[in-house]
Amino acid sequence: MSSSLIRALLLGLLAAIVSWPIGHFVTTWLGWLVFSISLAWQMLYHYRHFVKLDRWSRVPALDGTLEADEGAWDGIFGRLYRHEKGLQEQIAQRDQEIAMLIAAGQALTDGVILLNQHNHILFCNVTAENQLGLVVASDRGQAVVNLVRQPEFVAYLEGEDFSRPLTLRSDRNQNSVLSIHVIPYSGNRRLMQIKDITQSDRLDQMRRDFVANVSHELRTPLTVLSGFLETLQEIDVEPDEQHRFLELMAEQSKRMQSIVQDLLTLSSIESAPPPENETVDMVNLLDKLRRDAEALSAGRHTIIVESDGQGDLRGSEPDLVSAFGNLVSNAVRYTPAGGTVCLAWHATPQGAEFAVQDSGIGIEAKHIPRLTERFYRVDRGRSRDAGGTGLGLAIVKHSLNRHQAQLEITSKPGAGSRFAAKFPASRVAGV
Amino acid sequence: MSENNHLSSQFDDDLSRLRSHVLQMGGLVETQISAAIEAYSRGEVASVKHIVETDRKVNDLEVAIDDDCAHIIAKRQPAASDLRMVFGISKIVTDLERAGDEAKKIAKGVRRIYEAGQMPSQYGIGVRHIAEAALAMLRQSLDAFARLDSPLAIKVIQADVDVDVEFKSIMRQLITHMMEDPRTITTSIDIIWIARAVERIGDHAKNISEHVVFIVDGRDIRHQPKENKA
Repeated sequence: MSSSLIRALLLGLLAAIVSWPIGHFVTTWLGWLVFSISLAWQMLYHYRHFVKLDRWSRVPALDGTLEADEGAWDGIFGRLYRHEKGLQEQIAQRDQEIAMLIAAGQALTDGVILLNQHNHILFCNVTAENQLGLVVASDRGQAVVNLVRQPEFVAYLEGEDFSRPLTLRSDRNQNSVLSIHVIPYSGNRRLMQIKDITQSDRLDQMRRDFVANVSHELRTPLTVLSGFLETLQEIDVEPDEQHRFLELMAEQSKRMQSIVQDLLTLSSIESAPPPENETVDMVNLLDKLRRDAEALSAGRHTIIVESDGQGDLRGSEPDLVSAFGNLVSNAVRYTPAGGTVCLAWHATPQGAEFAVQDSGIGIEAKHIPRLTERFYRVDRGRSRDAGGTGLGLAIVKHSLNRHQAQLEITSKPGAGSRFAAKFPASRVAGV
Repeated sequence: MSENNHLSSQFDDDLSRLRSHVLQMGGLVETQISAAIEAYSRGEVASVKHIVETDRKVNDLEVAIDDDCAHIIAKRQPAASDLRMVFGISKIVTDLERAGDEAKKIAKGVRRIYEAGQMPSQYGIGVRHIAEAALAMLRQSLDAFARLDSPLAIKVIQADVDVDVEFKSIMRQLITHMMEDPRTITTSIDIIWIARAVERIGDHAKNISEHVVFIVDGRDIRHQPKENKA
């Protein structure tokens, strides 16, 4: 038997003990009166607490509304209070854990959407909102296919075959490519993981273009070669003619050789260890570049060197010679006779700049970002006539990158171009 | 969303399935239009066939959805907002199907131009721009339907004016071209047809938005002066 029950019985007994002598020695009715009053007093006490408990149980709060007077209810109220407090603490802790999980979901750089068995959205993080144009506040509970309506996506989600991810070109943002993977979990729920693969898709495209370009560039001279060979095999040609054929064939094979050579250079630059830190004497280098330019120009251009002779570069001399030489020979080749090519070298403790400015044909703005791509040509016919392999600027860019230098290209069609290699302070010596 | 629970949850399922079907049909039309725009600006005549084939699917969906609407009305006798939903859907579907037809017209126009060995881009660069605007309108009107978001629908209705204005300026440009060089007349007329189809897509998007406002707010704002629509 619990102590509170014993206590209630004892109080009843006490009332009886007090009222019995009164009833016996004074008058009977007074005894009954005292007995009933003391019982009623106890009833009132219980009733008050009952009302309190009733009210509290509707909205359990920990603000002191559940406080009992000394007595049987004290213990009950105390235990209820502690129970409620424990529950609320537990709920707060769970809430915190859930919030942490949600925050982790939000922090993911991949888009995440949780779906129920009917493909209705249960949760989606900010990344997914941006990727698919969802608004989680209003779209929770909405079928995801109502908002991402592209037929490929609907077919993938309803096809139930999630072994491969779906590649989707987003219709809200034309330039982004998404890879969507659905992972079933916990029975019939689904987790949708969305990766933005725009970058790697573009790289894939570049790789395909590269292979296609290499084969095209090599096939053109090869076709010429095999054409002449067939002719020579099948027809007797005059010695004069034969000589001309052989010359053309030699020219084409030289062309193939230079393409292969450039490709090898490019791949060796890419895989080579970082350049050494030998000091490159810029006065010498500029002089050599000027002589090369004059030789290539054969007196058709004015070659100017602008330099105060200050400062040298730290790096690999052959790399820098080939990079600068490429810029200079480009300038000479794309500048009509009578034009000017200016080589400028300027070094400060903050950094140095080697620039080649020409008064040539110039480049349209739309081509500039793509100039350093392999085999990118502004004008296919002309650059091949000029003897280019289409790899020169790609080699320049790579060698400069290895020296932490940036290639800056500014140009105005008809007025000339400026190619500047900007080196950081760490690459400059002797200023 | 019609989250007001009916006694029969089967009815709720029917309605939400119907809505999803409409939006899937919308998705098909959206792809059709964006493929038509691509074909126009890149000269991909190969995709024209695909666009025309998709139109058949759109037509089938229109018939199927209309049939579903009739069934729901007959079986469930919907009232108030549910009835508006069913009515609205039946009208939205009509507009969607017509927008799909316009996409088909664009695709066929593109094929005519490129097969004649012409390039549209040298005359009508603006067409791509308004086509994208019209597609965005359609996308937003379907989003408004999915979310039952009448403020968004009203924004779409207001955007239609811009498309109309731009359509007129394209017309003026092309007329100037045709006067300058009569050899461009054939191509220019094809471009005008395309621009016209684009402008119609904008109108259908506007109609769909009006149906959405009707479904959500119960107001019929068709053929009313602009100030009553906000």
